[in-house]
Amino acid sequence: MSEKRYTKREGFKIPSIPLTYKHAIPVSKTEKFWKGLAEGKIYATRCRICGSLYFPPQADCSNCRGGDMEWVEVPEEGVLVTFTKVYARPQGYEELDPYIIAIVEAGDVRVMGWVMNINDESKIKIGSKVKIKPVYIEKHGKYIVGFYV
Amino acid sequence: MRRVAVVGVGMSAFGVRNDVTIQELAWEAVGEALDDSGLEQKDIELSVVGTVNTRGYELMPAVVVNEYSGLTGRGPVRVEAACATGSAALWTAYSAVASGQVDIAIAIGVEKMNEVDTATSLAVGGRAGNYLWEFHMYGTTFPAYYAFYATAHMQKFGTTEEQMAMVAVKNHRYASRNPKAHFQFEVTLEEVLKSRPIAWPLKLLDCSPISDGAAAAVLASEDVARKITDTPVWIEAIGYSSDTSNFTRRPHYLGLEATRKAAEMAYRRAGIEPRQVEVAEVHDCFTIAEIMAYEDLGWVEKGKGGTFIAEGQSELGGKVSVNLSGGLKAKGHPLGATGLAQIYELVKQLREERERGRQAPLRNYLALSHNVGGTGHYAYVTILRR
Repeated sequence: MSEKRYTKREGFKIPSIPLTYKHAIPVSKTEKFWKGLAEGKIYATRCRICGSLYFPPQADCSNCRGGDMEWVEVPEEGVLVTFTKVYARPQGYEELDPYIIAIVEAGDVRVMGWVMNINDESKIKIGSKVKIKPVYIEKHGKYIVGFYV
Repeated sequence: MRRVAVVGVGMSAFGVRNDVTIQELAWEAVGEALDDSGLEQKDIELSVVGTVNTRGYELMPAVVVNEYSGLTGRGPVRVEAACATGSAALWTAYSAVASGQVDIAIAIGVEKMNEVDTATSLAVGGRAGNYLWEFHMYGTTFPAYYAFYATAHMQKFGTTEEQMAMVAVKNHRYASRNPKAHFQFEVTLEEVLKSRPIAWPLKLLDCSPISDGAAAAVLASEDVARKITDTPVWIEAIGYSSDTSNFTRRPHYLGLEATRKAAEMAYRRAGIEPRQVEVAEVHDCFTIAEIMAYEDLGWVEKGKGGTFIAEGQSELGGKVSVNLSGGLKAKGHPLGATGLAQIYELVKQLREERERGRQAPLRNYLALSHNVGGTGHYAYVTILRR
């Protein structure tokens, strides 16, 4: 193996004036979804005019341009489509242990969520049946979608 | 539409560049591109500045870059298309020249990524999908998104971690011969396979580094190009497409539909077949991405990308010589600069000006760049011919 040559140039620096963003995210049009999680339900939306199904839920139909949507529940079971285990955690998730994110096909929608009952990624198989239900993440004070293989 | 040529290119050294500000870094590329074209700032009618700059303290950097480059009054138009920003800048400058609005334009791509720490950088990158529905809830990271592809590709087609590692070995080998690369050292298959997990099944050496860098290209209309250079490199076509912001709404996780569509447009407009391409720079932000690119760009059938690398088909002198610069993987991936750094490399390849051990053998003088934004959110495919 050759010597490890790489480009790394450092120099005199001064700190910037820190800038912190703390956004208030307007979720009034999808309020039922956010409140539904706390009640154990996962909602999608369906257009009453053209039948298009949306997950994540949205209030406007980008297919027929209609705005008449109904809330429908995502099935409680699905099939695992793909997954990863996140070892290098981003800011805001550093306090948590490495976590497994998966994508699950549930009826006619696909849902992202965390696999809650298996920690060893080598034990997870694409195509497995999973149960889908909201779970409370204590450290973040938030509900997310959980998967149980 | 008029024919458009690249008449000058420039590129800074890629890597950790904590010695310079964004405008000083951009100038390294702009100055070289002007020298290369034999033009001066007063000849440039439009500047396009591509930068993502979500990690920067200079929140409106285009005018800062433009002023420092002596281009005040000539543009700038600022563009952003995530990791495909450099190609979006190229497309914008190309369109202005092709349409006849200007005769000479410059596309500048620049990114500073090392002024914040790695955790912050990961958090910014992880928001490149759809913040509310993905990062906010699940802590997605950029490697995690490409890991979704890797897991699905491995399961469906039997692609192996060894085959992915071979991409890293190949691209590091060429980067070791590129004095402007971030990583100028070789790695072994074993080192890649034993590097620490980042987002399973991707390991540290499957990932492109967090790099600073700049690149620029001067474009001219056919009349002007023929007057000022003996070696114009023609932009035959630029294809583009996009995909959903929500990762869960993608049709599948076995390749990038945006790449497939952008390639189809580029090949059609250039009037060429995929197999005619001799040298290419593809978007290998992660090793799996290069394997999928072989397939989505039409060099090998879907699912056979792992075999393509294992058989050496993408090595120098193979069916198509891929990422002789070291690619994003080892040359580095400063988001806004990457697409234009690909053009820099291919122009040098087509002019046969590369270092020994990484100059592609050419007969048709046809090159392709493939630049993806986000996790397949954007794709640009550019065909160049000398």
